[in-house]
Amino acid sequence: MKTKWFKGLAFAAIALTVAFGSITSVASASSKLSGRIVVNGSSALLPLTLQAKNEFQKLNPKVKISASAAGSVTGPQSVRKGIADIGACDWDASLDVPGFKAFTGLVANKVAVTPFAAITNSNVGVSSLTTAQLQGIFSGKISNWKDVGGKDADIIVINRAFGSGTRVNFQVKALNGTDYMTKGDNYKEVKSSGDMKTAIETTPNAIGYIDLVYVTSKMTALKINNVAPTAANVINGSYKVWGYGYYMTKGQPTGAVKAFIEYIQSAKFQNGSLKKLKFIPLSAMKK
Amino acid sequence: MMEVPTSGKVMKADELGSSLKASSGKKFGRKARLSLYNRTFKVICIASAVFVCIILFSILFLMGRTGVLTFETVSVKDFFFSTEWVPENDQFGAFIFIFGTFALTLLTMLISVPLSVIIAVFLAEMTPSWLKTALRPVLDLLVGIPSVVYGFLGMTVLIPMLRSVTGTNMGDGILAAAIVLTIMVLPTISRIIDDSIVAVPKKFRDASYALGSTRFQTITRVVIPAAKSGIMYAVILGMARAIGETMAVVMVIGNTPQLANALFKPTSVLTSNIVMQIANVPFDSTWNYALYMMGFILLVISLIMIVIVRLIQGKGVKQ
Repeated sequence: MKTKWFKGLAFAAIALTVAFGSITSVASASSKLSGRIVVNGSSALLPLTLQAKNEFQKLNPKVKISASAAGSVTGPQSVRKGIADIGACDWDASLDVPGFKAFTGLVANKVAVTPFAAITNSNVGVSSLTTAQLQGIFSGKISNWKDVGGKDADIIVINRAFGSGTRVNFQVKALNGTDYMTKGDNYKEVKSSGDMKTAIETTPNAIGYIDLVYVTSKMTALKINNVAPTAANVINGSYKVWGYGYYMTKGQPTGAVKAFIEYIQSAKFQNGSLKKLKFIPLSAMKK
Repeated sequence: MMEVPTSGKVMKADELGSSLKASSGKKFGRKARLSLYNRTFKVICIASAVFVCIILFSILFLMGRTGVLTFETVSVKDFFFSTEWVPENDQFGAFIFIFGTFALTLLTMLISVPLSVIIAVFLAEMTPSWLKTALRPVLDLLVGIPSVVYGFLGMTVLIPMLRSVTGTNMGDGILAAAIVLTIMVLPTISRIIDDSIVAVPKKFRDASYALGSTRFQTITRVVIPAAKSGIMYAVILGMARAIGETMAVVMVIGNTPQLANALFKPTSVLTSNIVMQIANVPFDSTWNYALYMMGFILLVISLIMIVIVRLIQGKGVKQ
């Protein structure tokens, strides 16, 4: 028994040495940047932040980055309170959006493009809606699928909770700012993108919306005004329901924070890791 | 819990003595050593107890203090009796959630208590002993399943089932939540009732049978009344668990701020509303304070229940 324990320890020691060795070997080719960056905010942007953090720390081992996510609005709040250096947010928090006042003094740095899709349960049978129809459905004025070319069945509206970045973006981009319904026998709210996905997949006659990357074959992603929600259509400008992901900073970013944001905005990261995570590079939108 | 660190010290008591001897240069007798050790142990125990109390009271104090800030902008009457919960327009009426919490707990108890009593009677009075030894661990294991698992099963299995059975559009609502909660609290309640039935002395049953009662009469007229305080204890513990449960409830209740006046209407309770909104709430806002106030209400409710449990327990000991 004792030998086994010893073997385990020896193995761990070797693993540690190897890991440490690889870190130091990368470190030798690094810059002189140092500091500490705290990122908080949007959970949709967290995978992006974590990937960038790993890559950036390899290049700049003296920079310590800690990233967490609690929800879009906590990002700019944490920055304003001085708890975080970067507040990841799904909307430009330096401007007014429905339900949230502008955070003055913060600077918005674009880091990614996120498309959103209106989705329905696969039993619905409607494949395309106009903006006016979507407005009617999500405000509760249209309550039966037959009014928008479907069968005779009540529409079940599934919404994200107030404060969700996806909710704000969908409201601004797909509904042109009209208000959501908030009550009703066929209306419910869910907590996260994952819950939205499950709810749409399992609820007949349901409609909701979600980040494009979450869309699965078990649901229908609706065409809006006859344009399909694809990355290609977002890039060529015909599909309008997308939003930038922002890193909010207090004033213009400096030092390590500036370098980190520039790393994320760099062509190498945008066209590599960011694309792999199914976000759309910023450069694709510049025209 | 506190015995672990001290038992470690018991082993080293002589080492402690020798080190003291070396450092002071004076000779410590066995008596002095023991009294020093005992005093240290006593101080550690008292400190731990005080520490727990401080934590509890600071939580109560912090939640209460933050919660009370709500009433700077919202009147007490509005908060407790208004049904308008629209944070966007600074309307914070928590009546829907308070009502929902009580309605949900009541409904859960209505379903789970009779079921638990039947399960417990079966376990304690009727099951052959080999089945008893198999069933009790199963019930104990059920307690350990994380609530989020129950919630997910409720969302993906129970709700579609309710929809097809009842023909409603959604299935989300207070009944779905009550069923999920029932499954969650059933093992807890039935195991405690089981224990209290087992504790009923055999002579009660013997006397009852000697008077010519049937088994059914013995169980309903003698055993269950004799175990009454244990049953009450179980019910209140179950209620405390049901009231505080969050993750499972939030997945099946629908989370719409409207009054739960029907079994299949999406609604919201205190816990589900807090967990839905706490991540998105601005730090220094009435909205945040209102959520704290709701948490404080929950805390007070469970405190009251614990006090009731203590009172019932005290009674049981005296009898």
